Amino acid sequence: MAKILMVQPSKCASCRNCELACSFAHEGVFNPNKSRVHALVWERLGLGVPLMCMHCDDAPCVEVCMTGALHRDEEANGVLWDKDKCIGCKLCISACPFGNASYDSETKSVIKCDLCGGDPECVKFCPNEAIEYKEADKGMLTKKAMYAEKFKKIFEEVE
Amino acid sequence: MEIIIDGKKVEAQYGETILEAAKRNDVYIPTLCHSEALPGLATCRLCMVEIVENGVTKRVASCSYPIQSEIEVVTDNEKLRRIRKTLLKLYYTMAPNSEMIRKLMEQQDVREFNRCKVDTENKCTLCGLCVKACETMGTNAIYTVFRGAAKKVGTPFDEPSEPCIGCGACASVCPTNAIEYLEENGTRAIWGKTFKMVQCKACGKYFATEEEIAYLYQKLGDDIDIKKCETCRKKANANRFIAAIKAEGF
Repeated sequence: MAKILMVQPSKCASCRNCELACSFAHEGVFNPNKSRVHALVWERLGLGVPLMCMHCDDAPCVEVCMTGALHRDEEANGVLWDKDKCIGCKLCISACPFGNASYDSETKSVIKCDLCGGDPECVKFCPNEAIEYKEADKGMLTKKAMYAEKFKKIFEEVE
Repeated sequence: MEIIIDGKKVEAQYGETILEAAKRNDVYIPTLCHSEALPGLATCRLCMVEIVENGVTKRVASCSYPIQSEIEVVTDNEKLRRIRKTLLKLYYTMAPNSEMIRKLMEQQDVREFNRCKVDTENKCTLCGLCVKACETMGTNAIYTVFRGAAKKVGTPFDEPSEPCIGCGACASVCPTNAIEYLEENGTRAIWGKTFKMVQCKACGKYFATEEEIAYLYQKLGDDIDIKKCETCRKKANANRFIAAIKAEGF
């Protein structure tokens, strides 16, 4: 079974270790701007939401990419970006409905979660297991679908 | 199948290019116009290698020559070096201020070349990557126009091109950074066309041109929502999480 990234905002302590671990692993610098994951923090509520690429099954970024630089990788069970195939049109960044991709004009790179080749750094450095990388078994997927359904209802109310 | 690159036996697949096989086996071949995203241009000729196929020695552009039999490849010898040097000297007269050309000259040990007229203003080597990028995007806004010494890259009749969406892919793929674009005061200017940029509904940042947004809607359908910049979209997404947590107590 393929693994998936799971985020639990109620467990996030807003320490932002994930951001630093991510930018260091990918760019060699401790710069949250270059991180693939961002923890958005609500200090008064004591909540934090670590957000990264959702690796959508039906990803708009993949659909809009004309060269196949952004592609669904079955082995990694995610959406991956191939630097060699990217021509820098940056349309994927506008296409992402969740704003989870950005562009680094310095290195001409799309900054987007690549699951660290199957061993995500953010997961390793998260002290509270707010980000987990788990086998997606049937029970969990059912649970996820249930949450998604609830979420959808709430989103509709919010908007 | 097995081919020989610089005396070393390496595995190669039928139909792949020599450059691909070389890259996979960590053999360096200099290139200027090569991009994996836009293969098959073969205009710069810097990737020239010598091959022996069926007993015949010939020099081919490794980026576009498909491997069809068990050939022997030499990537560096006196003759090839001379070809590369001559090419780089000519590229120097075309684009003397380009960083990429300078880097390749240094690497191939080529000194400045002043026997021909040197065009200090120009940076374009007419490799055609930008044209191919634009074609790949499906916009077809730029072409190589004129032939011979007057050849250049441009829009039809040098007028602002209607299909151009201002994405800047051409500028991004250009190996010599010859294509300039300017972003200021909510506009982006490229190829003589000035684009009005769309402002983020939430923070006011200018994040894409109107034409880019129209292109996205055309590609992805109307049910996607691109009114905010990526940062604000992310915030909106996090807000939804928080709203859900508050409502349901996840």
